[in-house]
Amino acid sequence: MTDSAPLYTLTDLSKSYTRGRETIKIFEQLDMTITSGEFIAIMGPSGSGKTTLLNLLGGIDTPSSGTVDFEGSRVDNLSQGKLAAWRARHVGFIFQFYNLMPTLTAAQNVELPLLLTKLSGKERKNRVLTALDIVGIADRAGHRPRQLSGGQQQRVAIARAIVADPEVLLCDEPTGDLDRNSADEILGTLQELNKDLNKTIIMVTHDPAAAKYARRELFLDKGRFVEKGDHT
Amino acid sequence: MFKQSIAVTMLNLRSIPQRLGLSLATIFSIALVVAVLMGFLAMANGFRATVAGAGEDDIAVFLRAGSQAELNSGLSRDDVRLIEEGPGIAAAADGTPIVSGELYVIVDGIKRSSQTEANLPLRGVSMQAPQLRAGFEIVEGRMFAPGSGELVVGASVLREFQGFELGDPVRLGTNTWTVVGIFSTGGSLAESEIWTDIGVLQNLYQRGSGVQSVRARLTSPEAIEAMRTFVADEPRLNLDVSSEQEYFASSAGGTSDLIMYLGWPLAIAMAIGALAGAWNTMYSSVDTRTREIATLRAIGFSGGAAFVGTMVESMMLAAIGGLLGAGVSYLMFNGISASTLGSGFTQVVFSFSVTPRAVINGVALAMIVGFVGGFIPAIRAARVPLLSVHNG
Amino acid sequence: MNDATLIRKGLFRKKLRAILLMVSIMIAFLIFGALGAFYTVFTAGVDVAAANRLITVNRINFTVSMPFAYWGRVQQVDGVENVSHASWFGGYYQEPRNFVQSFAVDPESYLAAYPELVMPDEQRAAFLNTRTCLAVGDDLATQYAWSLGDRIPLLSNIWQKTDGSSSWEFDICAIFDGDEAAVPANYVMFHYEYYNEALAFNSNQLGWMIVNTTDPSINDRVGREIDALFANSSAETETSTEAAFSRAFLEQYGNIALVLVLVVGAAFATILMIVGTTMVMAINERTKEIAVMKTLGFNEGRIFRMVLSESILLSLIGGLIGLGLASLLVAGAAAALAGFLPGLTMPMSVVLTALALMLGLGIITGIIPAINATRIRIVEALGKN
Repeated sequence: MTDSAPLYTLTDLSKSYTRGRETIKIFEQLDMTITSGEFIAIMGPSGSGKTTLLNLLGGIDTPSSGTVDFEGSRVDNLSQGKLAAWRARHVGFIFQFYNLMPTLTAAQNVELPLLLTKLSGKERKNRVLTALDIVGIADRAGHRPRQLSGGQQQRVAIARAIVADPEVLLCDEPTGDLDRNSADEILGTLQELNKDLNKTIIMVTHDPAAAKYARRELFLDKGRFVEKGDHT
Repeated sequence: MFKQSIAVTMLNLRSIPQRLGLSLATIFSIALVVAVLMGFLAMANGFRATVAGAGEDDIAVFLRAGSQAELNSGLSRDDVRLIEEGPGIAAAADGTPIVSGELYVIVDGIKRSSQTEANLPLRGVSMQAPQLRAGFEIVEGRMFAPGSGELVVGASVLREFQGFELGDPVRLGTNTWTVVGIFSTGGSLAESEIWTDIGVLQNLYQRGSGVQSVRARLTSPEAIEAMRTFVADEPRLNLDVSSEQEYFASSAGGTSDLIMYLGWPLAIAMAIGALAGAWNTMYSSVDTRTREIATLRAIGFSGGAAFVGTMVESMMLAAIGGLLGAGVSYLMFNGISASTLGSGFTQVVFSFSVTPRAVINGVALAMIVGFVGGFIPAIRAARVPLLSVHNG
Repeated sequence: MNDATLIRKGLFRKKLRAILLMVSIMIAFLIFGALGAFYTVFTAGVDVAAANRLITVNRINFTVSMPFAYWGRVQQVDGVENVSHASWFGGYYQEPRNFVQSFAVDPESYLAAYPELVMPDEQRAAFLNTRTCLAVGDDLATQYAWSLGDRIPLLSNIWQKTDGSSSWEFDICAIFDGDEAAVPANYVMFHYEYYNEALAFNSNQLGWMIVNTTDPSINDRVGREIDALFANSSAETETSTEAAFSRAFLEQYGNIALVLVLVVGAAFATILMIVGTTMVMAINERTKEIAVMKTLGFNEGRIFRMVLSESILLSLIGGLIGLGLASLLVAGAAAALAGFLPGLTMPMSVVLTALALMLGLGIITGIIPAINATRIRIVEALGKN
């Protein structure tokens, strides 16, 4: 069941960047509403700004103009310190190339976001185990990333993204580097997180098969949204 | 393999600008090590050269047995007479034996550099003394007149101390003297001294007719053996006889050794530090170019070529550092004048001397650092796994 | 796991590199520690000098002697609490190479002048009362394996007896030590009278006088009065504080401090360059990882602190090992050099300075990488796929 309260409201959003003397517009005057509990797949040709949109939703980039509202208050104009704290609390990222710390074990990687909380060592350990359990990789807790397959690394990355219990998961091509089987497993896990734990998931992908796992497909092209279809 | 090595080497060298910071740091650290080593070598060599000087082998130096240094020695006028009658003593044209009984006291002078007091030898000599110092010449003014309160001053003293210009009145002890001449001996120890008539000195310092040492010119270097026998057989004489060469060589010891005992270990310690630095640089060099090296190997270049390429890069950085350090040392150190405490509690003025041998030592040290520092990374470069072509 | 773990992992990411950097730092602090210790002890003479002790020497030079009669006259000067004298004997034991620092003194006034010399009461009494007594410093007794009751002949490099020999016979009746490690105990003392009465020449002279004033504030006045006593005589005097005298003697060696500072400075400049550039490089390599940390919510301040801590940790580890090695070196050399440099230890001042330098080095080499880390822009760093 989806909650109908809007989680994100993007108003009149524009993003462009300058390279040398050229100004390249990614998109302009974009409006968008995301309600809590949604699972959205954003597709589009390369350069269309899908990743940029994700970055704006996650507070790791700021718009050229327009506003990004989260739970009713603006986040695009927060200071870097406040943004960092906001991210830690509300957002989990999942990247195409996992971006795990090579020197840390799987468990330690998952524990990273909890260092930003005031939880005790014991409480952190519990949370880590829970997260690893949810994604089904608890048996590899002590392994380093180089000892894990791509699919296993992505699981660890997902565990890291949910361990602090954020409302939102932002995924940038999460299955882009995986074989078909691993991809299906990962996407299945994301579905479970959305259904069972009510996580709002926004996934950027260029793979139509992956997009099918989402409940709503958006197509971004030339800075405009086109609704692909709603699969509830 | 030779052509391959050259190709890889050129690639390596061309990519140095990407690692400019670290490469420069390595060059400078090696240059510093070499400079420190050469500084100490220059000090020790300069000191040794001055003290050992060109001691002559046909001048005999007589000291009281066991005294080892002039200050500790004491001979009587009778001793001097007996020596004059000994075998092998050369005579001047008019028949007088070329023998000089000498005695010195320590006086104070003000060093120009630090404006502090330092010890100087005031040596009382006989009129034959100039004939007993190689290369002695009065470069300005004249020799002192016997029995007068006049001084001649060594050129080094003039350089390092103030107040000894020609014509200056000099107050030493309770008396005022006048500088009437400046002498040079080509930079040897004698130039760090002030001379006057021995009779005057004996009088002023109440030494009666005693002296500390006797210098005599021999008819030939071999004549010293006859003199040694003569002294040994003569019960009234209790003396040590050495040639001037032997005497100087034994005096140089102390301070020169001290400088070397300090200098070499320091240079080696710093070299170890620079070695760690060079190793680190080469290690980073190989590391950042892993994909590049793997690509070369995938194309077909041999591991040996990669090894050579890295070694050449390392040795080249070291060579530049070594030459830089040597060059800077030469410019900064060579010829600068300094003075320090010699074995007789007086100042010895010497010049830092950067010899070709020292330069070779310095550059050799740099090359060793470059070789050892680059060796393991070079082996690593040779063994980069081909699959690294996929590294991000 | 906590921040400390992350810092440690960051530093040792490439173990060999971390070790090499630590070796470089270790060497620099080894050099600093060793040279610092040697220099401090070398100049310690200035430190153990008593504030109210003056040294009077012949104005020409301290190697020229003064008439014995001067001693009695200085005793009359107002403000002089105690005056003693000593003369250089130039002694050796059996062979000229067995050099023994020896002084002919007036025992009672000399011990009063140097209260830091300690020995058992009965030995002190023996020294005062026995004309042929030789009071031997502890270090020297150990070096030559001498004991109480031994009869030792000492030969002089300079002086001769009326009978033509240069050998004086002594009985060791006292062994003394300094009340602090830095006070030298590497010499011997004996009765001036016993020595003087046998002298063939230069008798009734003394080498230098030691004057204890009633208070340091009158040092200058007392010094001037003493020198005024002997102005315009054949042996004018120069009186200065013991500290000034020691300092002047050391300065004769030349500007040792300058040489040491240059060498140590060169060593530190080296590691600064090497470690500094390497740390910048190391952080550069981790651009993406740091960007990910930022996405997780680590703010700039925290990242700055963590990177700086890496540099400081590196500096501390390398520096402490180097300092430890220097201390070992100094301890090992102390025994061998006891005759030349008494009381050689690692002074606290050197340790504290080293710690400050370690901290400074860590900060200087870490500041740029830390700033770079905070400046990493997430979007750019992650965009490099």
